[in-house]
Amino acid sequence: MKLLTKTNRYYLLLTTGLFVLAGVGLYYGFYAALRHEVEEQLDNARLHLERRAATGQALPPTPFEYQLSVSPRPRPLGFRDTLLLDPTEDEMVPHRQLTFRLAVQGRPAWVTLRKSLVETDDVLEVVLTVLLTVLAVLLLSVVVLNRWLANRLWGPFRATLGALRSYGVQEHRVLEFAPVDIDEFAELNQVLTRFTRRLVADYEAMREFTANAAHETQTPLAIMQAQLEQLLQLPEMANPQLAGLVTELYQATRRLSRLHQALTLLSKIENRQFAPPAAPLALAPLLRDKARQLEPLLDARGLTLNLHLGAEPAGLHLHPGLADSLVHNLLQNAIKHNVAGGFIEVQLSPEALQISNSGRPLSGNPARFFERFQKHDAASASPGLGLSIVEQIGRYYGFRMSYTFESSGAIHTLRVAFA
Amino acid sequence: MKLLLVEDEPALRNTLVDYLRQSSYVCEVAGSFEQALEKIKLYDYDCVVLDLTLPGAGNGLDLLRTLKADGSRAGVLIVSARAALDDRLTGLDLGADDYLTKPFHLAELNSRLRAIIRRRQFQGQPHIAFRDLLVWPEQAEVFVREQALTLTRKEYDLLLFLLANPNRVLTKEAIAEHLCGDAVDVADSFDFIYTHLKNLRKKLQEKGADNYIRTMYGVGYKLSVE
Repeated sequence: MKLLTKTNRYYLLLTTGLFVLAGVGLYYGFYAALRHEVEEQLDNARLHLERRAATGQALPPTPFEYQLSVSPRPRPLGFRDTLLLDPTEDEMVPHRQLTFRLAVQGRPAWVTLRKSLVETDDVLEVVLTVLLTVLAVLLLSVVVLNRWLANRLWGPFRATLGALRSYGVQEHRVLEFAPVDIDEFAELNQVLTRFTRRLVADYEAMREFTANAAHETQTPLAIMQAQLEQLLQLPEMANPQLAGLVTELYQATRRLSRLHQALTLLSKIENRQFAPPAAPLALAPLLRDKARQLEPLLDARGLTLNLHLGAEPAGLHLHPGLADSLVHNLLQNAIKHNVAGGFIEVQLSPEALQISNSGRPLSGNPARFFERFQKHDAASASPGLGLSIVEQIGRYYGFRMSYTFESSGAIHTLRVAFA
Repeated sequence: MKLLLVEDEPALRNTLVDYLRQSSYVCEVAGSFEQALEKIKLYDYDCVVLDLTLPGAGNGLDLLRTLKADGSRAGVLIVSARAALDDRLTGLDLGADDYLTKPFHLAELNSRLRAIIRRRQFQGQPHIAFRDLLVWPEQAEVFVREQALTLTRKEYDLLLFLLANPNRVLTKEAIAEHLCGDAVDVADSFDFIYTHLKNLRKKLQEKGADNYIRTMYGVGYKLSVE
């Protein structure tokens, strides 16, 4: 719910409540006051009549009979409400009446004075109408003023929000805002600018760190590998025991180096250090290249690879390095977990890239296949990072990964659905 | 063939120089940007092996720009621990011939250098002769004692790789990565190298070639000169 709607709702609730209270209060207040006024008038008339009676005068004649009636028989005394027929309007009209005893020229008489309450009602109505109208106008203008103010005053806030919404962390730029004359918003903008500046600095530091760490680790590894290769050339290596030791060292160095490369790649993807290229990337040629490259591995295990390359997915702006890594790891995974004489089916459609391969029956939890260091065979020399790289790249581009296993024929299928 | 090796890490530089001299290159070294700049300004090289991260006032890419701006005919092989793909693309865009990521196999370095030098020698018919073997890389033709030998692409690649590094032990890893690209993790499956080598040997023997591909048990293979 919008802030404006929310505040307006409270305003409306409060004012409506106040209106009802004020209306009720006013109505009863005025009603009581006007009745009291009528009673006072009736009392004054009574005093006047009593004074006349005391001097022995007869009661004055009255033009309207209903205003003064005299009866020789007793009547209930005091103020009462009554309804009388108004002959001109031909309707029943509320009256206030006062009955008292009076000795008129020596004889007792019960005098009733009446006064119409209609005028009082009219006054009440006018007063209430005026008041309620003023209150309604006030309420309406508060709402309108609020809306106008909100549009005007919250403008900078909305501008900030828009800037934030379109801000991409991987853009590595500091958010700058136009100056604002409202302190709170100016402060908000300042904080955001500081945050983004910090973000950019952290990103830079992280990028530099990853690059340096990669460089600093790969260099000693390169030295180790080169020295070991040189060592293998020495005539002393005719000794199989010695050659075995050096070879194992050499292989361990290679493993370490691969592991390090994979981890560096993962951290780079996580830090979003791959800007999308301007031109879309075609997957079909890449798949064909990779298939050709991996041919020896396929041949060695007697695997058949079938490429069904349909239309390219539209507007896929993959970083070439990541696309290469994605395709490579998917294919290598399908080769690694295959059986001798098995098959690999690759299907590319505008919606998805799907790789199915024959393999051994399912073992382990498929949900964990994408986790790091998950190996099918614990003794395997490969670090088990291939599918986590695939998963990371997929997540980076918002692809949906799914794995299905068909137990009849033991077919494993990995599907990468483009968003 | 005259090479300039630009590498700031002394241990790696020394190993590489040893290796390159063993492989009969004339090799000079530079350990910093300034040294390298001075050498490329003063001398001509057939090929420059260039590390990208260097101490001094510039990096390898700056050296590459200088080489290209001077119209140098030297081939350039970038060797870098910075596997960052953007560096690779920038390097190749700037006119480098090839890019190798550290760590690499020495045999792979040599194989790439030979390919670069081969491509750069326009004049003459470059060929590789080894004992009774004659290879014309330009046409991808192989002759054993003047008889043409038909090889598959991978067998041919394998033969060329061995010929680039005669009398050196080539590890299984180096061969596998040369054939399948260095991204491939072949730790679990070296069997395919064995298959390819077996086929290559068979074809060579059918044409009466000597058996000069030696198996170094558990380590790799070697093209023997004796």
